[in-house]
Amino acid sequence: MSRRVKILLVWLVLIAGWEAGFRIIGWKPWLFPAPSHVLDAMLHLLSIQTNFGDPTGPGWPFRSVADNVSHLTVTLPTALITSGVRLAVGFLISLFLGGMLGLLMWRFPFVDALLGPLFLGLQTLPSICWVPLAVLVIGINESSIVFVLIMGSFFAIAIALRDGLRQTPPIYKKAALMLGGRRFRLYYHVLLPAAMPAAASSLRQGFAFAWRSLMGGELVFMLPRRGVGFLLNVGREFGDVAQVVAVMCIMVAIGMMADRLIFARLELRIRTRFGLIA
Amino acid sequence: MPTPLHSEQLLIADSGDAPPRASSRGRFELVNISKAFHKAYAPALQSVSLTCEPGEFVVVVGPSGCGKSTLLNIAAGLMPPTSGEVRLDGAVVRMPGPTRAMVFQEHGLFPWLTALENVEIGLKLTRVPKAQRRHRAVEALKMVHLGQFANLLVHQLSGGMRQRVSIARALVMDPPVLLMDEPFSSLDAQTRTLLHGQMQEIWGRTRKTILFVTHSVGEAVRLADRVIIMHAHPGRIRREVRVPIPHPRDFDSPEISEVVGVIRREIEDEVNRFNAETMTHVAPR
Repeated sequence: MSRRVKILLVWLVLIAGWEAGFRIIGWKPWLFPAPSHVLDAMLHLLSIQTNFGDPTGPGWPFRSVADNVSHLTVTLPTALITSGVRLAVGFLISLFLGGMLGLLMWRFPFVDALLGPLFLGLQTLPSICWVPLAVLVIGINESSIVFVLIMGSFFAIAIALRDGLRQTPPIYKKAALMLGGRRFRLYYHVLLPAAMPAAASSLRQGFAFAWRSLMGGELVFMLPRRGVGFLLNVGREFGDVAQVVAVMCIMVAIGMMADRLIFARLELRIRTRFGLIA
Repeated sequence: MPTPLHSEQLLIADSGDAPPRASSRGRFELVNISKAFHKAYAPALQSVSLTCEPGEFVVVVGPSGCGKSTLLNIAAGLMPPTSGEVRLDGAVVRMPGPTRAMVFQEHGLFPWLTALENVEIGLKLTRVPKAQRRHRAVEALKMVHLGQFANLLVHQLSGGMRQRVSIARALVMDPPVLLMDEPFSSLDAQTRTLLHGQMQEIWGRTRKTILFVTHSVGEAVRLADRVIIMHAHPGRIRREVRVPIPHPRDFDSPEISEVVGVIRREIEDEVNRFNAETMTHVAPR
């Protein structure tokens, strides 16, 4: 049996145990949901009405039309698009700013001495702490949430890039200088490609920070356009604990998938090319 | 059969007047080079002067810490000397550049490029037209017998192959001077011997001026026209030994062993003398 199958089986057993606990003990579903409630909540977010969480009986798991009242003002697909656009815009700006500042801090020790400690400090500041400032200065609009996202990720990108660049072996530069590399061509043909592994891990880390900041921001900003973080807040306001857990699961799943399918793969490809992986 | 050699004939103190060779380009001079890293310690190099005639193969040997790598870095322009200057065909050179291509001990190849692209990159960096680049790079790779490995990545090559690519990368620039910093030290004995043979062949064909640094006396005598012996604390040139054995050489010949013996004794005497001197500074227990 492959490792993957084993891992899947263990998870299935755990979830089944959780569900069985609910069915046998019969705890209050509004205090803590069972997996079936979370499933219902997820389907609900996709405008599919089910009641897997109810006791089995005639008609299970489909909800009767009379029960079909929804407190949702936005469905998951629309929320995903809203969050996706914000993420794309904010992350790109963040990458540009973080990349530039990371390069500058690596290249000029003065810039590093000036900004390095500050950036390290700001990196430890939870992104949500930027919200009050954003609200007062920018207002409650799309720009302010993108601002929070950028502030939450670009320090980390700059620091990760600088640290990675510092680890590129100095011999590459020496060799390039001996081969006649100067100014732009030295950077373009040698120093920047040499920094690829550093850039890849900085990208990966930056994404995690950006996603986190966006979700936090959407949770507290009451904007006309509703993102995924907003859904979490709706769950809280209506006391829908199943929806809260469902949205949390979705957030984790998206973060994990983006990392696994895009950033980890990119990093692996680059590291393999560089011979950094045996 | 060359006449037998005598150690007295081999040792020529402070001799810089080697006969000039046919090639007009590539006279490489280190003039009165000194380098001090720290004021409190003996300088790494003290008044080192060395002239490589065009097309001459000069090897610098010495124990570790004698400043031979520092000397080569200064020759390359990668490190400024505290005093003294480096001249190529009479003109002072200060910056690193492709007139003195360098082969490093740790090869310094770019891992994101294939063998061929690594050879080509110097031509890119110096804006050689695209049409010539590929052709020249392929020729250089063939010179080190790696034509069929052009498309492998650096980590897919063996240690010896990496050094050969590194040599091709230097040769493709067609530099008047080739600097080599212990290029074969991290290779196994058989590969090293193989590359010594290839080095002889390459030098025979290109007649570059080569300044080669090594800690291996055997390697020095196999390759060099002239062996420069350096001593440490402070780093300086003590002797130079001409190796009057015609190229290409049979590495197992008794003449080579004889010259190796002479140089080894010379270095050992110096090391022993230095150790004896420093020991007297240690307080007896």
